Amino acid sequence: MQTDLPTLTEQAKGGSVRAAARLMSIMTDAPQRLAELLRGSHDWPQPRLVLGITGAPGSGKSTLTDHLAHEYRTRYPDRRLGIVCVDPSSPFTGGALLGDRVRMMRHATDPMVFIRSLASRGHLGGLALGAKGVARVMGLIGCDVVLVETVGVGQSEIEVAMSADLTMVVLAPGQGDSIQLLKAGLMEAGDLFVVNKADREGANQLYQSLLSALQLEAMAKADLRAHCSGDLNPQPNVFLVSASQHQNITALIDGLEAWTDREQGNWAEERQKQVIDEVRQALLEEVRRRVIRTMGTNGKSQSRIERILSGETTVERLATEILTEVLK
Amino acid sequence: MSYEDRKIRILIGKPGLDGHDRGAKYVSQILRDAGFEVIYTGIRRSPEQIVDAAVQEDVAAIGLSLLSGAHNVLFKRVIDLLKARGASDIVVFGGGTIPPKDIPGLKEMGVSAVFTPGTPAKVIVDTLKAKLCQPA
Repeated sequence: MQTDLPTLTEQAKGGSVRAAARLMSIMTDAPQRLAELLRGSHDWPQPRLVLGITGAPGSGKSTLTDHLAHEYRTRYPDRRLGIVCVDPSSPFTGGALLGDRVRMMRHATDPMVFIRSLASRGHLGGLALGAKGVARVMGLIGCDVVLVETVGVGQSEIEVAMSADLTMVVLAPGQGDSIQLLKAGLMEAGDLFVVNKADREGANQLYQSLLSALQLEAMAKADLRAHCSGDLNPQPNVFLVSASQHQNITALIDGLEAWTDREQGNWAEERQKQVIDEVRQALLEEVRRRVIRTMGTNGKSQSRIERILSGETTVERLATEILTEVLK
Repeated sequence: MSYEDRKIRILIGKPGLDGHDRGAKYVSQILRDAGFEVIYTGIRRSPEQIVDAAVQEDVAAIGLSLLSGAHNVLFKRVIDLLKARGASDIVVFGGGTIPPKDIPGLKEMGVSAVFTPGTPAKVIVDTLKAKLCQPA
């Protein structure tokens, strides 16, 4: 397999889909090469917008992603679009079934759409290690917008907010009462909210509760800052859509486009901060790999762990022992 | 790189017009449980859709499930398209209701393995591991 970065970069820029796909594999498979990758990629063109799409399993993220892609492609026929979709790896076998493409196959033969499925590979936070790198390669090959769809998340997997320019939280009716909307985590991570499945019962009620919860939150924040001179009743960014019926998707894209035009200048600095976070993640992953290699996987580490249970050693002492071995 | 370090990615596709996806889903599940990353693309796909997806996903293999009897035509189309995309190194295997008399011809055209109904899961996994997990 060709793994020489400058060669692959040239080929990918020249239009080779294979080379771009290989670069993406390096991004996900070789965190230890991140420094080389970042140095090599600092002058690559970047997407205008990296949009994170997150929400609970079954809230309709993939269908929404598909319809956003369709709308973007219709609006800008000569612009390229990237889609990164992450599904979970099994914590038991390490295997994964990546099924997001099923809902996006109408774009499969569109040369202006590049879709890449990633398995989370034990990475918590809703994304996969290297997801940002994959989005970066999409920038290299000229993607104007990159949609990053996370695994179905619970309440606290909000890494996407640190990896995207804008984070969209997708909700669907039937997933909990208004107290759920006050909880910390996911709801704080959203720059904008989409109530999906507008054609279903309860969607309008959810939309209203969400509006009021977000207004309450904005007021509480202003109150804490003790400056009530600002806008006390800001209009939260909430959209009521039905992805499967392609209902209100146009308004959603209008909103996203206006936001991108307005804020893009401020994103460069954010993106720089995200690179630091990315390096940190890669570093932690490399440490984790080395420790696991030394410690052994579940079966192999049993005898060591039994020494703790028998009182022969402590968690702290064993950890030091393992770390010493890692450095040998 | 060892098998543990580099996850093997396999795309499962159903070319053609039959909608019987139980076999394709079952094999996807088997491969998932054996530690592979499986990209499932759904029913009634064109060879073009399957090959373009496989190239973007940088998979090591494509598994084609087919029960309509059109395997001689559609498997060949997939293999030809892979060649045209400079991606003949992607291993192609197949399964479904394929008459034994057609298997030699399929292998001749470049289908690496054919798993007909009744093939034990372990045989599928072991065959694919032997083909895909050589030390790099």
